[in-house]
Amino acid sequence: MLRFVSKSLLQGRLGSHEAQLPAVLTLPRLYHERVVDHYDNPRNVGSFDKNDPSVGTGLVGAPACGDVMKLQIKVDDSGKITDACFKTFGCGSAIASSSVATEWVKGKQMEEVLTIKNTEIAKHLSLPPVKLHCSMLAEDAIKAAVKDYQAKKTKPSEAPPVEKAANA
Amino acid sequence: MSKKKLLTPLSSLFLRRTLTSTPYFSINPIPQYFQSRTVRPLFPLPGFDFPGKCFICSQFGDKAQCWNCSAAAGTTPFLLCSSCRCIQPLDHSVDYFQIFGLERKYDSVEEHLEGKYKDWQKKLHPDLVHSKSEREREYAAEQSARVIDAYRTLSKPLVRAIYVLKLDGVDIDEEETLSDFDLLTEIMEIREAVEEAPDSQALNQIQSLMQEKLKQWSNSFAKAFQSRNFEEAVKAIRRMTYYERVNEEIVKKL
Repeated sequence: MLRFVSKSLLQGRLGSHEAQLPAVLTLPRLYHERVVDHYDNPRNVGSFDKNDPSVGTGLVGAPACGDVMKLQIKVDDSGKITDACFKTFGCGSAIASSSVATEWVKGKQMEEVLTIKNTEIAKHLSLPPVKLHCSMLAEDAIKAAVKDYQAKKTKPSEAPPVEKAANA
Repeated sequence: MSKKKLLTPLSSLFLRRTLTSTPYFSINPIPQYFQSRTVRPLFPLPGFDFPGKCFICSQFGDKAQCWNCSAAAGTTPFLLCSSCRCIQPLDHSVDYFQIFGLERKYDSVEEHLEGKYKDWQKKLHPDLVHSKSEREREYAAEQSARVIDAYRTLSKPLVRAIYVLKLDGVDIDEEETLSDFDLLTEIMEIREAVEEAPDSQALNQIQSLMQEKLKQWSNSFAKAFQSRNFEEAVKAIRRMTYYERVNEEIVKKL
């Protein structure tokens, strides 16, 4: 779909610039190449067991477009995120944003990842203004995952059987 | 507004006929921007009656008039002049329900909508006025596009729900992130099931489940909207948005 959209927009764009830009016919893209890269080869796709006490799960959605994003972190005893994965059903920007987010949180301390801002993700991927909310979704997913993990830590007895985490 | 463009033999025939019946509203030499809301001709001289000078804009008058023959609007909505069959300019105060003569209610849309839509297109379609003035062709393009919008909006429950809320001043601007755990878990599971569906039969099964859910939440919306519980109404729209999205994915895969 992403390819289709970028292709069709590309054609529209070329229509107006064709005269000036004959040499870059195959080059221009609507999305930054990093978005396309993460979309074509998303990193860390998958799921961890959400009942595992060392796993924090962030589940967020964008109600306007019907996207849903799940980001999970695996945390060791020192509070370091040893692994991360995601599953996103949404547009290319949402997939790329969550893919980048999992890459960035790996190996960092939990407190540290809470400082990751959506603007950094958006800048890294050169997201257009209409797609900024996708990076916002990724930031919120990280926060929700950390919150879920912390909630499990403080109430370990409740953690495994209860489906509803604190981020509900 | 050049005179030559406004006249075609057929329309002038109609005009000549209506000239005698409504001479007082046909001339207004004052540019549109000077006109007050109640349009009254300042120089009601029958001798100056000439269709090309008919500058009264029906949109700004309290009583709408045809821009072409100046006949008063006989119908609501006034999309088409009943006397000269001229297509009228857009009037945004007419909502989509009014276009089809429907009560402004979420569940007032009946199965005859498609017929009503086709009836309008038989009168407003740009192809019907290809030989007429540029002005009327423009109006035809705008009106028929708006009728298409109206039909598309009212025929789909989700879009219609968003529209009726908007008419009531409730804008659905859902920029903030949703963390409704139950809904998101449910959607995640459905989307995974769609992704992993082995055949079209499995997809069809999920699709009929989605239709059921959509119907159920459409009913919830209708109830919430009727009792003016906008919070519940927005919640129902949110659900419907997600189920519609699943449907779109299924259609792509089928």
